[in-house]
Formats: sequence, C-alpha cells, structure tokens
Amino acid sequence: MPRASHPVTDAVPVAPAPRPALRGPSRVWVPAAVGVAGILVGVVVSLVLPSSLTFLAITSVIAMISLIGLGIVTGTAGMIVLSQLTFAAVGAWIVAWFNQIGVPGGFLLHLVVGALAAGAAGLLLGLPALRLRGVNLAVVTLGFAAAADLTLGKTQFPGTAAGLRIPRPAPFADDRGYFVLAVVVLVAVAVTVHYLQRSRLGSSWRAVAFSERGTAAVGSDVRTAKLTAFAVSAMIAGVAGGLIAGQVGTPQATSFTTLQSLALYVLSIVSGAHLIEMAVFGGILWVLIPELLKRFGVPQDWGFVIFGVLGIQALTTGSNLGQDIRGAIAKRRRRRSPAPESGLVPFTDAELGALGSVSVSHGEPVLELQDVSVSFGHVKALQHVDLVLRAGEIRGLIGPNGAGKSTLVDAVSGFLPQHDGAVSLAGSPLAGLAPDRRARLGLRRTFQQDRVPPSLTVGDYVRFVAHGGASEAEIASALEFFGCPPASARIADVDVGTRRVVEVAANLLAKPRVLVLDEPAAGLSHDEHIAFGQRLRRIPERFAAAVLIIEHDLDLVRAVCHSATVLNFGEVLATGTVDEVLANPEVSKAYMGEAELL
Amino acid sequence: MLQGAIAGLAIGGVYAIIAVCMTLMAQLVRVINFAQAGIGMFGAFLAASLAQSLRMPVPVGLLIGLVTGIALSVLIGLITQRWLPEASVSARSAVTVGALLLLVSLSFILFGTRPMTFAPIVSGTAFAVGGVVVSQVTIVMVALAALVSGGAWLLLAKTTVGTKLRAIADRPVAAELIGIPVTSLTIGVWAASGLIVTVVVMIVAPTQTSDATSLSMLVIPASAAALLGAFKRLGLALVGGLLLGVIQGAVSQLPELMLVRDWIPLVLIVLFLLWNQRKEVWDAAR
Repeated sequence: MPRASHPVTDAVPVAPAPRPALRGPSRVWVPAAVGVAGILVGVVVSLVLPSSLTFLAITSVIAMISLIGLGIVTGTAGMIVLSQLTFAAVGAWIVAWFNQIGVPGGFLLHLVVGALAAGAAGLLLGLPALRLRGVNLAVVTLGFAAAADLTLGKTQFPGTAAGLRIPRPAPFADDRGYFVLAVVVLVAVAVTVHYLQRSRLGSSWRAVAFSERGTAAVGSDVRTAKLTAFAVSAMIAGVAGGLIAGQVGTPQATSFTTLQSLALYVLSIVSGAHLIEMAVFGGILWVLIPELLKRFGVPQDWGFVIFGVLGIQALTTGSNLGQDIRGAIAKRRRRRSPAPESGLVPFTDAELGALGSVSVSHGEPVLELQDVSVSFGHVKALQHVDLVLRAGEIRGLIGPNGAGKSTLVDAVSGFLPQHDGAVSLAGSPLAGLAPDRRARLGLRRTFQQDRVPPSLTVGDYVRFVAHGGASEAEIASALEFFGCPPASARIADVDVGTRRVVEVAANLLAKPRVLVLDEPAAGLSHDEHIAFGQRLRRIPERFAAAVLIIEHDLDLVRAVCHSATVLNFGEVLATGTVDEVLANPEVSKAYMGEAELL
Repeated sequence: MLQGAIAGLAIGGVYAIIAVCMTLMAQLVRVINFAQAGIGMFGAFLAASLAQSLRMPVPVGLLIGLVTGIALSVLIGLITQRWLPEASVSARSAVTVGALLLLVSLSFILFGTRPMTFAPIVSGTAFAVGGVVVSQVTIVMVALAALVSGGAWLLLAKTTVGTKLRAIADRPVAAELIGIPVTSLTIGVWAASGLIVTVVVMIVAPTQTSDATSLSMLVIPASAAALLGAFKRLGLALVGGLLLGVIQGAVSQLPELMLVRDWIPLVLIVLFLLWNQRKEVWDAAR
C-alpha cells in the first residue's frame, strides 16, 4: 500500500447504512390500479356531468391523449415538434376514409389503423430528426404542419363534402357513452406510456435528450431512440385524431390547424406534459380556459392569447407546472427524511484488511491498437499508435494537454470512424462498427464531460447503462462499493464529480471486457480521489474488466495503474510499467519542458 | 411557366427578405424568430384596420403600424435578452413560438379572422417583355431584397457597428467587458428586423391571400430559404428565397400540381438539410 493509505479515523468498520429498497416488482401493478380507478371515475363523471358539458368533456379527454403523446417528444426526448395535430389529422383521415369506402371492422379497428398510419407518418418525419436538431427540426415540423394544413383545407376529409357521418361504435353511441370510450382509451394510452417511460426505451429517450454521444456510448442506438419517440408520439396523436373524427362525425380541417398545433405545443411546455398527470391537467386547461372566457363574455380567441403568455412565461423561466409541483413535493419529502449521507470515503485499515490484498494477473490481450492514426485536416492528432491492454490490466494513458489522449479514446470507442490502423477487441476487429455496437460487444467508455442525464434517477440510469446485465443485488452492491448515492436519488441532485463516479459504476455493471475512463476523477475532492483510487484498483478482480485510464493526477496513476503509455504530440513517447515510464527523462521533459528552461 | 416564374419572383423577394432578417437574427441575437412574419402581419393589419374602421389617413395608419411592428419585435427581444441571455438557441427560439401564437390569436380578436383588404402601396405593371408581364411589386420586392441583404452585408463587414455586432454574436460576455453596449445594439437589431419585415408585409399583403395565419406562415418558406444558408450565409438566404418563389410560381401554373405546391418548401428543406448535414452524426463535437 504505498500511497493510497490514509489516516485512520475509525478503527471499527461501520456497517453501511441500510439503503432504501430498490423499486421492486411489488409496485408494478400500481399504475394499472390507478388506471382502473381512472376508468371508474370516468364512468361516474359521465353519469353526473350535465349533458351540455359532455361534448366538451370529450374534447378535454382527447386533448389529454394528444398531450401525453406530445410529452414524449417534447418533454422526454427534448425535441421541438410543432405538428402534433397534423399527426392527429392523419388518424382522423384514415377513420373517415375507411368509413367512406366501407372497410369492414368498425370504428375501433379503423381507430387502430389510423393510429398506425399516424405512427408511420411520425417515423417518416422523424427521419430528418436523425440529422437535424433543435430549431432546425422545429422548422421542419412547422413546415410539415403548414403544408398539411393547406392541403387539407383544399381536399377536406373523405366523405365530408357528401355529408357522410362517421358512426360511433354501438355501446358508446351517445355523448355519455363516447365519453366513457374516450376515457378508456386515455387510460390505456396513459398506462402504456407510463410503463414505456419507465422502460429502457423511456430511459433512452431521456438519455438522447441530454446527450447523443452519451447514449451511444452506453450501447443504445440513437436512431432507434429518436425514431421510436417520434413514432409513439405520432401514433398517440393518431388515436386522438380518430377519436375526434368519431366525436364530431364529420371531421373538419379547421380542427387540425397549425395554430392549434402551436397552442398544443405551448400547453405541453406550460404543463410539463411528459408527466401523465400534468398532461391530464393540460387537457382540462385546453377546454377550461376558453370555456371560462365564454362564461365571462370574453371572445374565446383570448384563450390562445393566454396560452401564448403562459408559454412565454414557462419558456423564459425554464420551468413548468408539473416540474414545480414535483419539485416542491420532493423538497418536502427530503426535509422530512433527509437523504442518507452517501459518499466516497477512503477505506479504513480494517476494511482494507477485510477486502484482502489486490491480486494482479495479466492474461490475453483484450484491446489492441495497431498503427492507429487520426488527422483533422492538416493536424495530425494521432500518429502510428500501438497499444495493448491485457485482461486484468489497468493501464494509464498519460501525456500533456493536447497529446491526443481523448482522440485515442474517441477512435477506440467508434466516434471517429475515419481513423487509420486497426483496433480489435479480444481478437475481433472493430472496424466499421458504430459506438453502440462496440459498447454492446464489451468495450465501454466514460466521458471527460458530464454525460449522465440529470432527468433520470441513479437506479434508472444504472439499469439503462447496464443493459439488463446486472441483477438488483449486483447494482446495490456496486453502488455501495463506489460510495454512490442510493438508487432512488435523482441525478439532478448529485454533484458533477459524483455523477462521473456513478457513470463508472454503471458502466462496470454492464460487465464490459474493457473500460476506458477519460479523467474519471476530475471534480472529486482529495479524499474522494484517494477513495476512488482504492476502488479503481479492485476493478479487474471485482468486475473482470481491463481498464485504460486517462488521468492527469500522477499520484492516482501510481496508486492504481500497473502499466502506462505516454502520448506526446500524438505519438507514443514511452510505454512500460508505471515506474519505468515516470522515470523516463523524455517523459518529464514532455511534461515539464526542457531542463535548461527551468 | 415563365410568366408564373416571374410572378413568383415577387413572393420570392418577400421570402428572401424575411430569410435575410432571420439569418441576421440567428447570427446576431441567437434567435430563430418564428414570429418574424407574425410581427409584420400584426403591423400591417393594424395599419389597414386603422385606415378602414377609424378612417385614419392611410399614411398615418401605416406609420402607426410600422411603429407597432418595431415595438413588438423589441418587446420579444427584451424578453429573451432579459430572461434567457445565456440559454440555447432552441430555448430562446421556443419563446417566439409562444409569441407567434399570441400575435395570431390577438389579431383574430382585434381584426377578425377574415382576410383583410389592403390599400395597395405599390401596384400596376412595370413593363412587359414579349408577353411576359413584370409587375411593380416584383421590381420593388427584388430591389428591396437586394438592398436589405447588400445593406446588411455592408453594415457587418465594413462598419464599426458591424464589427461590434459580430463581436456580440461571437462572445457576448467578452463584448460587454470591452465596453460594447450589448443591450442597446441587440435591441437595435430586433428593432431593425421588426421594421423591415413590417414594411415588406405591408407591401406584399395587398397581392396575397391576406389572412393572419397565411401571412404569419410566410415564416416557413422564409426559414426554408434561410436554412439553405444554414442561418449563416446572407447570400444563400437571398438566393434561396428568390429561387423558392420562382419554383412555386412556375409550379402554380400547372393545376395538376396544385397540392404539390404547398409541399415544395418542406421537401426542399428536408432534402437539402439531409444532404448538407450528412456528416452531423453527433450532437456535440466531442
């Protein structure tokens, strides 16, 4: 134990504080039960609501469905989509058309086909989203909405000109019955979306909203994440559109205008529609505000003016109702039971004794770089780099700023496909494989920047990164080993240094063959540095991964690494054991400059 | 076909001017202003309605409309500058979506939902060559488009104010630290773009289907044109706008392509961007 020792503060090993139970299977039925309760409430409401309000209530429920769909792309996946009602129009169009040409199967089947068609339209419009981001994507969706708006205005819906009415299905024919149908559909959509949001897919939506590189690096396909978000959202809009067709009988283009899509987008921002209860609340606002205005004799167009003002307010403050309410609840809960003091503290001597000494044994090469070169224009970032990492090895990759260390990590992990030379993982070449494929083959990396999506909880993030490869017990034990916050903690509440420790633990839980760490200890305090080093040393024996670690702190390199490779100006300057490399005068020259200058 | 293409040049000029304004805004104040055309629409509607319902003299109405357009633009500018100075372009631009919604619905309340009749400011035929008629509006629009983009280029490239504006665009905090009046120059950009777009909509509104929505949605073909220059290059925005107008004008001569016409801007943007951004695989450079 040369350098990683530390003053003993407490000779008695302290049992770790019990952690809150991870979200287990026992609560899986809760959303379904809430859904059943929702349907019952819907039935009761349909019975007590005055008939004059039933039609409006249907409109409100349909708006809730649209908002839940919109919440997925705008709230969860973080893309600006201004064409939600155009997707709804696709659903309505299919329902109207099938009714006109007499496709058998009835309204409900038509509704499903309409939803699928809208989903297909969403997929198509999602394709540009693979390359376009932010405002550019917003422009495209707005263009889509406006073009469809003009076209629909000219063609109208099938059968509308002939006055053909779309019949509602039998038990739901009157307004009260149709309201119950709409509620049932709402509940079905809401429960499905709830489970989707909690699934890997939902995590990938949140991850892609925060960082595409981060998402790919943990083995998730960015394209799949984006396209599914678009398709699911559009499909739900299609359901809403089909329901509108059944509600009004003869759908009109004026129900699906661009302006209404804009209003819906703004409402989804104001309410925070990625949270289902807030989408429900938003649906109520959608009819309540214009209706209240009508009661007070104010023209209903003021409704959109109010949405506009609320939207500007929400967008400028970056907050929404749902987030505010949840934040307030979380704050109260925290005050009542403060979060357990979690932290990365150095092992006591007793703990170290219990853990035993670190066994070092190197096996076959798992990661091999042969003659890897990268150039950006005329700048040669890496030149003819050879590097071998063996099973069980912890190799440091060091060198002054600008030496090409991070470029090497990018080339190895697949973010620089145009590099020269060969990279192979456990003997099989990686050429041409995308980052997410490499990650799934067992080559994981972390980032120098914070790439941990703050909207997830620690547990959700770890499960997402681990790709289903770790049991709950393994997750709990790894989080404890690295002194991470409990699984229930929100990453947004965790400081950036600790987030990167969580990132390391999560990637190890994916059981990779090779883990590449890009300055993992940046942002940690001195004590945390020492403690983190103690953990890193035990990665090969505990997680069976070989580690390549970029680090500037040479104390950490000495304490953790078995061997080291030094890069300077893109070339390998020295390679060997840590002591050999650090004793090399060329290396100190690269770090400190020429001796004469000192 | 040719007649249609020439006629399309007028609306192409409008697209080009709005596109140039949007490019300037994107570069100088980091906003893609979705309410750009909406601001012009509101000013023009106010001018027309003052002249019609209050029997105000037309020039007075136009002046009030212009001032309103400038004021609206400045107001949006102040909001983004005050509350979102450091936010991303997306976040700042999303505010203008709210503003667009607000302006269109406010104009429904104040001026009604029907298309408005405007007293033409420029009208009549300028000249005819070989049976192809060129209207005065076309001439004015193309000239104005060239003037706006040329003027903007001169301002940015050749004057001290232009240098200061570019400094603000690149490093707002550094610019403030070396004593450039960031807020007033930024608001100046908003005011200028509000003025230009209101003038343009006032001139073109009498020749168009002039309801609030379709005038506000001029922003879509205009942003298609601006996207051609990636919201960076003024020249490409100008060319893109004119080209889009010409293509739409030519296509509108063929009745069988009636429905296709409305999809041209969208299809063009998507195809162009997919080609142009084909290397933008990742969201961040590293």
